[in-house]
Amino acid sequence: MAITLDTPHAPSPRLPAVRWGAAGTALVALALAPLVLDSYYLHALIIAMIFLLPAHGLNLILGYTGMLSLAQGVFFGLGAYASALLSMHFGTPFVVNLFAAAGIAALIALPLGIPALRLRTTSFVMCTLGFVVIAQMVAKNWTDLTRGDMGLSGIARPKLAIPGLGDATIAITQIPHYFYLILAVALLATLAFVALIRSPAGRCMVAIRDNETLAESLGIPTWSYKLIVFMLSAAFAGLGGSLYAHYETVVSPLVFQMYYSNTILIIVLGGGVGRVPGAIIGSFLFVAVTEALRVTPELRMIIYGFVLLVLVFMFPQGIAPLLERATEWLSRLGGKTDANAEKQA
Amino acid sequence: MGNFIFEQIINGVITGSMYALVAAGMTMIFGVLRAINFAHGEYYMAGTFAAWYVIEKLAVPYLVAIILGVAIAALIAAIIGRLVMQRLVGSPFQAGVLATIGISLILQNAVILAFGGGYKVFEGGWIEPVEFFGIGMAQQRIVLIVAAVAIFAALEWMVRKTRMGKAIRAVSQNIECCQVNGIDVESVVRRTFLLGTALAALSGILTAPVNVSVYGGMGESITLKTFAVIVMGGMGNVRGTLVAGMLLGVVESLVSGLIGLQYRDSVGFIALLLMLMLRPHGLFSQKARF
Repeated sequence: MAITLDTPHAPSPRLPAVRWGAAGTALVALALAPLVLDSYYLHALIIAMIFLLPAHGLNLILGYTGMLSLAQGVFFGLGAYASALLSMHFGTPFVVNLFAAAGIAALIALPLGIPALRLRTTSFVMCTLGFVVIAQMVAKNWTDLTRGDMGLSGIARPKLAIPGLGDATIAITQIPHYFYLILAVALLATLAFVALIRSPAGRCMVAIRDNETLAESLGIPTWSYKLIVFMLSAAFAGLGGSLYAHYETVVSPLVFQMYYSNTILIIVLGGGVGRVPGAIIGSFLFVAVTEALRVTPELRMIIYGFVLLVLVFMFPQGIAPLLERATEWLSRLGGKTDANAEKQA
Repeated sequence: MGNFIFEQIINGVITGSMYALVAAGMTMIFGVLRAINFAHGEYYMAGTFAAWYVIEKLAVPYLVAIILGVAIAALIAAIIGRLVMQRLVGSPFQAGVLATIGISLILQNAVILAFGGGYKVFEGGWIEPVEFFGIGMAQQRIVLIVAAVAIFAALEWMVRKTRMGKAIRAVSQNIECCQVNGIDVESVVRRTFLLGTALAALSGILTAPVNVSVYGGMGESITLKTFAVIVMGGMGNVRGTLVAGMLLGVVESLVSGLIGLQYRDSVGFIALLLMLMLRPHGLFSQKARF
């Protein structure tokens, strides 16, 4: 399954406008969602937005650096446990936990990444799968810290300090409150992700993905880049895990199940790897829709399995290219009518 | 204490024979396809479940259940081989990883949906204890180890002497050359896949009377342990997997006996990680053949 991007041929000048328009419309629609949807559907959207964060992480490492990691679920779970433990033992506020979860996930990714990133292709995949199993084992057996299979419950719900109002805080307890909080975090993370991949560093990552030897010969420190990307992808997953812990208020070793890594994989591959809208579309399509339709976890995994097969053999680029073609077509359509109007004038 | 350790080693050799059987199939499939079968443990699970089902519903004797269980798993594998695996010839490694993860999700969850996620009791097998070097053990364990040795001998003969074995070796070495010389690569891939998955299913059914419990998620941990075994044995090296499987079984058994049962399953992953870091070409190979 090739994950190289096809370079768009002579895009229409209106293309960015059409795409930003689509993104803006989607965002406004999301912001208005709590006014029309009942709380179960909001819950489905919240779960999708939580999964979007580790998906961005996987998109970064797979789509922009070309490494297939199954360990995103590990860092998601680590973020969840880190947040839960901090809030239970130290009573730290939500915002601190959020950043601490990202930082802890990235820090743990460092010693894991140093050996793992020396491996390539299938060996790297097997190694990251090994991390999932080790994480399960630790979460179950380090009972002093994690309480084993009982898990951690009663994690504090987020309280946000209002700037300029001193000690006043808003307690986030209701589903719509959570919805806006998580929407804000997901949006900021998405913007940060876009900024990252559009920066010179992002171009270096693509260079490593497309030809690592060439990238290295051009003076890109490929090893440091790969390690930093691995840590950043862990940080994104840690953010998602922290949101998950504070939303569900319960964390158990189940967060280290393959279910999470697989879901994140489907989101990125199904949406379209190496594309920002890909992960967003993927998380809504594969998480929000299945959650909203109340598909049982087993049936959901069977659907994911078939989706993977269809993707591998029929749509190796995921869904995003189809939508991109649609937006391109829309912008050309607009361009043509303009040209016709000019001719008539 | 000495006797206890001896007992643990014997137990480890028996578990190890099972790992070796499963891993032999995976390593052969890797040889011809250059793809790791992430669904390999699911055929182990499917075979065991099929045998459990025919024993429960049709009350057939264990020997018949072995044949039916392997046959049902082979039927599933034949369909998947034709629809999925043969298409992976010459595709990038990611296609193989993702397609087999997909199959693993489908098989595992289809079984859980159909039969429920709970543990089932496998009733059958030859569980009468016999005395063996002063250690009492179930006949089934002896059956398992004898079967493993016999099957490895047969595999060795098949790979060296038969036309099919030669085709497998040829495809493992150079796919393009085989295509030029008129070897039907896809058919070799299909047959190797069928053989490898049937070995996994057989191993599952032979181990079931010892492990007793049968459940939908049992394949996942087997897949992961098999990774450790094939990496230790050297990917594509059938003889290496026999030694590596036994080694993993013995170390696991000693760890669970001397340190604690809950650490048993981590042995495989630590071995996998250490091997990948230090000797990625296996314990025996001088350099990678693939």
